[in-house]
Amino acid sequence: MSEGEDQQRIRFQVELEFVQCLANPNYLNFLAQRGFFKDPCFINYLKYLMYWKDPKYSSFLKYPQCLHFLELLQYEHFRKELVNARCSKYIDDQQLLHWQHYMRKRMDLLQAQAEKMQQSNTKPST
Amino acid sequence: MAANSTRQKLLCLIDDIEIVSKELFETMSTPKNQLRPDGADTVMLMELLVEKDKEIKSTLKIAEEQAEIQTVMDSLKTQVDKRDIEIKILQKNLKESETILSTAVYQAQQKLESINQANTKKISSEELIKFAHRISASNAVAAPVTWAPGDPRRPYPTDLDMRQGFLGQGTYTDTLAVSRSNSQISNVSETNSTPVSSNSLSWQHPPEVSITSSISHHAISDFKGHNKENEEIELMSSDSSSSSSSDE
Repeated sequence: MSEGEDQQRIRFQVELEFVQCLANPNYLNFLAQRGFFKDPCFINYLKYLMYWKDPKYSSFLKYPQCLHFLELLQYEHFRKELVNARCSKYIDDQQLLHWQHYMRKRMDLLQAQAEKMQQSNTKPST
Repeated sequence: MAANSTRQKLLCLIDDIEIVSKELFETMSTPKNQLRPDGADTVMLMELLVEKDKEIKSTLKIAEEQAEIQTVMDSLKTQVDKRDIEIKILQKNLKESETILSTAVYQAQQKLESINQANTKKISSEELIKFAHRISASNAVAAPVTWAPGDPRRPYPTDLDMRQGFLGQGTYTDTLAVSRSNSQISNVSETNSTPVSSNSLSWQHPPEVSITSSISHHAISDFKGHNKENEEIELMSSDSSSSSSSDE
């Protein structure tokens, strides 16, 4: 299938958007419930999308977590599980917690620092 | 007698001399008429005494020589002990250096492996930093500091993002896709009902979106590629800015 340069560009953008949408567990649940994961064409498409793991393509990704989900989607068991809303909710929760991990760690550090400062301030007065 | 040590020999001789001299004194102290006929002759006793004295003298000489030998032996023993200690220290040092060298060799091997790995997948540090900056600045991989529950921002493209994107707007023209959509209008009604069900997935999308995007509806069945995304994307929004295609 020969493509013009324009078409190639369009395809690149389209596939870039789609692969990153896979990072959204709600979207994955949506796809599962619509039965897309049972379609062999779609499964082949997911396999084809694995080219995004190559560094020269992954450098364009804004949400690199999508690659992890893409890998998981290659497994039938995962695709089957995604039909449950609870499964996607759990993934969503874990994703959010992971996302906030660094922020929490920083807050803890800052808090500890603030407490230390407070202690050192009160000490000379006693 | 030969098995006796010099000390025992000397002690025996001293006992003998004691006995002989006692005998001598007894013989000398008894008056002549009380002398026993089988008693020892003083001359004989004297000779015996002299002999014993000679023996003692020779034994003492032997003892002296033995003492000298003993000192030599002792000095040699101390030297041997000293050498033993030195050997033990050297052995400990050798063992330590062996462990240190083996860990050094192991770590060097690991370093070599990582060097080889890095050489096979070269990437400039500037590129890495740019990429890291891009994914972090947009809060895509780490939550913003002010984030609280209720904040709509997420680590993945949200419905809104997807709606506003390239796919969701249907702003691209794909001749094959357009022709298919024209031929399969029947799917429109089918997919129009799906927005209702998608609400249960807690997506909010205004009803007009489904109508406008139904224009870019495409058949699901056997078209691998863009059509599939459009089929779903018209129910959700996509944000073209969210996919950093502009950074090429």
